[in-house]
Amino acid sequence: MAGEGNDREVGYADGRVATVSSYIIEMEKVGKVFGADKRRVTALKEVDLRIPAGEFTVLIGPSGCGKSTLLYLVAGFERPTEGRILLDGSPITKPGPDRGFVFQEYALFPWRTVLGNVMFGLLRNGWSRRDARSHAMDYIRLVHLSGFEHAYPHTLSGGMKQRVGIARALAYDPKVLLMDEPFGALDAQTRKLMQQELIDIWQTTKRTVLFVTHSVIEAVYLADRIVVFTARPGTVKGSVPVDVPRPREYTEERYLDIRHSVLDLLEEEVMKGVRAQSESLTE
Amino acid sequence: MSYRKLLLPLVPIALFLVGWELTARFELINAALFSSPSRIWRDLVTLHTRGLPERSLLLTHIGASLWRVFIAALIGTIAGVIGGVLMGTNRYIRRFFDPVITVLMPIPGIAQAPLFIIWLGFGDPTIITVGAIATFFPIAYNTAAGVRSVDQQLVRAARTMGASWANTLISVYLPWAAGYVLSGLKLGWARCWRTVIAVEFIAAASWGLGFMIWDAAEYIRSGVVYGGILLLMLIYFAIEKALIGTIEARTIRRWGMVRT
Amino acid sequence: MSHAYSVAEFVLPFLIIAGLWELLVRAGAVTSPSFPAPSTILVKLWTLATGRGVLWKHLSESLYRLAVGYALSAGAGLLLGTLLAMQRTLREMFAPILSLLISVPTIAWVPVFLIILGLGDRTVIMAVFLGGFFAITYNTIRGIEMVDENHVRAARIMGASGPRLFAAVLLPGSLVSILTGLRLGIGYAWRALVGGEMLSAMISWGIGKMIYQARFWNDVVAMFVGLMIIGVSGLALDRGLLRWLERATIEKWGMLTEG
Repeated sequence: MAGEGNDREVGYADGRVATVSSYIIEMEKVGKVFGADKRRVTALKEVDLRIPAGEFTVLIGPSGCGKSTLLYLVAGFERPTEGRILLDGSPITKPGPDRGFVFQEYALFPWRTVLGNVMFGLLRNGWSRRDARSHAMDYIRLVHLSGFEHAYPHTLSGGMKQRVGIARALAYDPKVLLMDEPFGALDAQTRKLMQQELIDIWQTTKRTVLFVTHSVIEAVYLADRIVVFTARPGTVKGSVPVDVPRPREYTEERYLDIRHSVLDLLEEEVMKGVRAQSESLTE
Repeated sequence: MSYRKLLLPLVPIALFLVGWELTARFELINAALFSSPSRIWRDLVTLHTRGLPERSLLLTHIGASLWRVFIAALIGTIAGVIGGVLMGTNRYIRRFFDPVITVLMPIPGIAQAPLFIIWLGFGDPTIITVGAIATFFPIAYNTAAGVRSVDQQLVRAARTMGASWANTLISVYLPWAAGYVLSGLKLGWARCWRTVIAVEFIAAASWGLGFMIWDAAEYIRSGVVYGGILLLMLIYFAIEKALIGTIEARTIRRWGMVRT
Repeated sequence: MSHAYSVAEFVLPFLIIAGLWELLVRAGAVTSPSFPAPSTILVKLWTLATGRGVLWKHLSESLYRLAVGYALSAGAGLLLGTLLAMQRTLREMFAPILSLLISVPTIAWVPVFLIILGLGDRTVIMAVFLGGFFAITYNTIRGIEMVDENHVRAARIMGASGPRLFAAVLLPGSLVSILTGLRLGIGYAWRALVGGEMLSAMISWGIGKMIYQARFWNDVVAMFVGLMIIGVSGLALDRGLLRWLERATIEKWGMLTEG
């Protein structure tokens, strides 16, 4: 079963001690089906997952296993066809500023400068122009883009664009940061750099992160816990805690052990996916 | 600045003009039909000075055409953008009007003119109406395409940051569609220009570049005809560079959203 | 807009509009003789088509002029386009002139042709020629210029050069753009045809002429018939003719990136 939580013990004034779930996200029997009749696709089936607050959770699985779909459900871009997802106890029904989203293809507004992009969420939520600007500048500094605040996105490199994406998603202080293969479009060097920076930022801001990726190496580097998904229809196959202290080195023994565990879980699912694909081609 | 690029095209132009002048002078071609460049110049100047000090006939003609183009473009643009947004956001409106636009758009303005002459008579009303119709279609079409093509990721990004639907429309759809709208404006305004001149051929009563050229052709005053065409070229070029060039530079070029 | 319409879907809006219009006229809401009912228009269409077959005479004359003018423009356009694409010096000399000439509305040249070529057939054909010529030339040049450099390199390293290179790589590679040019060209040619016919006094047949003459008889119905035919013909020319050509070549090769 996935999601060993950390129940908190809270002491009340009258001497009682209660156990409170500190799961910030709870997914109960979540399922998602697309299309109808002949073109019905079951992306997710009976996903039960609980995400503790403040943790860096990575979702990994073969292509098409629905991990991105699950992220979209948490973001509110889609609604589950079965089950429900709770954020701090309330069900998620639509997108909103209590969640931040970082897209693989950046999704920056090309007609706004870096500053304009980062300020967007703040302005939408009632911040004054002046406050929004200085707050946004803080975040731009956090992602090491000082000096670029008046540049237009199309003049930036991929890595820089994604930093803007991260700053933009964090600026308005969401409860959860959702990241959909954010470094997938970057080259290997930049990717490594971004992973390091992301951990720095995370440790500074202590946000709950839900991160989707293909790459096992990336997953082991970043995660407190790795959740492995089955091939389509996706459900949780298993989860692997990562208790290696940070900063992590790709070559540490413990690191490699964990990598093996994850790969074991993963390979079987990847093969299932490949077989399914070749079957559909030879029909 | 490459001198080669600047000078080379002048070679054939210069040769052509000189050749034309000489063959006309030496009566190798019928000067009445093919007036020489010097003759053209003289005719245009006369047209300008003859009516002075009251008015320059030439400038009045040009002014009348530009005025009509301006009004027609204004009406057509406003209608086109509104229509385009409606079509881009509502599936049923689009499916209904798409075939209608496909069939009506290619009908040349000059063919519509006789109908409008019966309805609205000669002169400005007809010319401006047909011009506005010609402007409307490309703008509506492109605006709709732009609104439809919005990258859904940008919409999601805005929504997750807390923007309402109305807000998303303004802060995402509109700027995104700007590139398409600008293409539409280029096409629409060019069409407006061409249509106004063309309709002036048959629907103008007394003023306008089109009228000037047509009238001169009827009296075989070829100098004015060629001169008129030259003016058409120059005016169009100037407007395109000045107006559309600056709009493009300020918006879509700056944003890196250029569409060819 | 990329939604593919079935025939029924396409015709439906027109039927709805025609139906409403008919109703308004019958109900007496629209009584002006300038807004005839669709039924009246159709009757006129029928009369013109049958009887002495006047409609066909008009249509066939127009199509004849279109065919001649378009064929000439396609030939000249493809040739000049290829020439300018391959010869850099010539291109730098003439391309700016070409862009300058394009900025003049085709119809504006008609008075010039009327003076030089007279008021008959030849002027109209010349207008058609100009309509198609610029679009075809421009797109041919662009098409050849934009052939993927890597394809050219691949062919060169395998030993191709000169005419062989052209036929095997440049021509197919530029086909998408050339076909676009041909398609645009026939649209412009058709519109130039109608305009030219309206302005040429000495011809008696032709769709454009038909509309123009209708004004002298205040025959609004005939005008609508004419406009209908222009619209439908324009559609048929674009969709029918060239679509087929596209399908046989670039669609089959998977080179079309948008519908």
